[in-house]
Amino acid sequence: MKLLFSKYKEHKYIVNIFGLLIFITLISHLFRNHLDVINITLLHIIPVIIVAINGKLRSTLLIAFICVILLNFLHIPPLYSFSVHNDYHILSFIFFGVIGGIITYQAKNLDSQKKQNEIRESLLNIISHDLKTPLSTIQGSVNLMLSNSNLDEKSKYSLLEDINYSSQRMKRLITNILDSTRLSNKNIDIKHQWCDFEDILGVALDEFSQMQNDEKLIIKIDELSLFWGDNTLLTQLFINLLDNAFKYSKKGTKIYFEITNYKKHVKIKIFNENEIIDKEKLRSIFDKFYRAEDSNDILGSGIGLSICKSIVKLHNGKIEAIAKNNGISIEVDLPIIKKVRI
Amino acid sequence: MKQLIQIIEDDISVRKLLEISFKEYNFSYISCENRRVAMTMFLSHQPDLIVLDLGLPDGDGKEFIKSIRELSLVPIIVLTARDDESEIVASLDAGADDYMTKPFFVNELLARIRANLRRHSDKEALKEVYEVGELKLDISSRDVILKGELLKLTPIEYDLLKYFIINSNKTLTHKQILEEVWGIGYQNEMQYLRTYVNTLRKKIEINSTRPKLIKSVSGIGYRFSID
Repeated sequence: MKLLFSKYKEHKYIVNIFGLLIFITLISHLFRNHLDVINITLLHIIPVIIVAINGKLRSTLLIAFICVILLNFLHIPPLYSFSVHNDYHILSFIFFGVIGGIITYQAKNLDSQKKQNEIRESLLNIISHDLKTPLSTIQGSVNLMLSNSNLDEKSKYSLLEDINYSSQRMKRLITNILDSTRLSNKNIDIKHQWCDFEDILGVALDEFSQMQNDEKLIIKIDELSLFWGDNTLLTQLFINLLDNAFKYSKKGTKIYFEITNYKKHVKIKIFNENEIIDKEKLRSIFDKFYRAEDSNDILGSGIGLSICKSIVKLHNGKIEAIAKNNGISIEVDLPIIKKVRI
Repeated sequence: MKQLIQIIEDDISVRKLLEISFKEYNFSYISCENRRVAMTMFLSHQPDLIVLDLGLPDGDGKEFIKSIRELSLVPIIVLTARDDESEIVASLDAGADDYMTKPFFVNELLARIRANLRRHSDKEALKEVYEVGELKLDISSRDVILKGELLKLTPIEYDLLKYFIINSNKTLTHKQILEEVWGIGYQNEMQYLRTYVNTLRKKIEINSTRPKLIKSVSGIGYRFSID
């Protein structure tokens, strides 16, 4: 019932349009002796315009067709028949379709602009939240230290650690935002060079604290040959994958990171234990600004995995999230396009 | 005697931060904010090390590095807010010894300053034997010993390791390493460098995925780091 109602709400304008059509037909019929054909035609274009504003081409064309039929049958001589004896009338019928089409197209454009604005707004919200949280930690700690000169060494140290951690978080987020704008620019060309995945992993791991790694991370790497790709982007890919796994894995559980060599591609797999996420949500995990529900306490902008997707796409690879064994496995396939010869 | 560091930085707050830290850690310093004054200061004071910001109000820092290199081998550490790798590589190739990107940690900068000062004073007398932790490299006999055992290295692996150790704690660009170890004409053959670094790491590092000695500097090169 609820569903039916919401369906009705969505298509309410169509019902209204039919009401309007009946009204217009009545008016035109009553005043047919006082009105010229051209006036009646113009009256009939009103419903077409109103439908077109909703930006749905199919409804627009349907209403345009009905209007044309009514017009032809009731008002265009010979009356009460579908035949037309003047070519001008056929032309005006085509105009109905064209006008409806143009307005629909413009309405669609406006709609997508609106959506872009919404995305921009949510980006601003997320960024301001994620930047302000660590910033307030920094501000608070500094303020406390400035106003309170007799703090003991231990609390001083822990405040400084907070500042340090927060500033690192901010730096990583800023890098991600910059990368994301750079990557969404379609004309970006990637700088191919010979990359060593083991080397890249080492660089990526340096971004995280040693303790975090050694306790949680289990690494398995095949004997790999060099890979032809963009070193900087692949490093960013690894950092974001690891960051995501560290952020969303449960306390006391392990993270598995694997790189496997195949004939035509390299597979990178990262698994962390987590609440089961249903399939629908897994699909949107790589969308910009998507964040798992109930994760408000975890800092993150939902940019990380969308950057991963862009990077993988630039390398003509594929990335997917698979739910298994109480966790999520993110798997990346990168095709080998060139083999090294030494 | 206190060692003298020349600061060339146009941002007041960064300059202040550097001055306070140098004072705290027992260095003398002189500071200025543009190239023109910096050159005069350099000639009159002969500093032991230069900390240089790349974006200066009166011209590019890279040009300044080149003109200093015509006069002296003084260690130069570049500070830059530019994340552009090519910019950093260009200044290292122009003769800078090391670089740090802003925002940076002061203690890391101080560590790099000390390492560069040490290496610079070592340079006067090239050593015969280098020792890094449990790794020992003997120049005259070409022997490399790890944990008391002789390590088998191919000639290129040996040359690579030697070049790294002699230039330890210095950021070396891919191009520099390829030119020095493989020779001119090889500066773009990255696959050699990647492969040999990988095998060398497997021989000398405890965990080659988390290297402690041969550190990668993403997009720029390598640095052989000794604490």
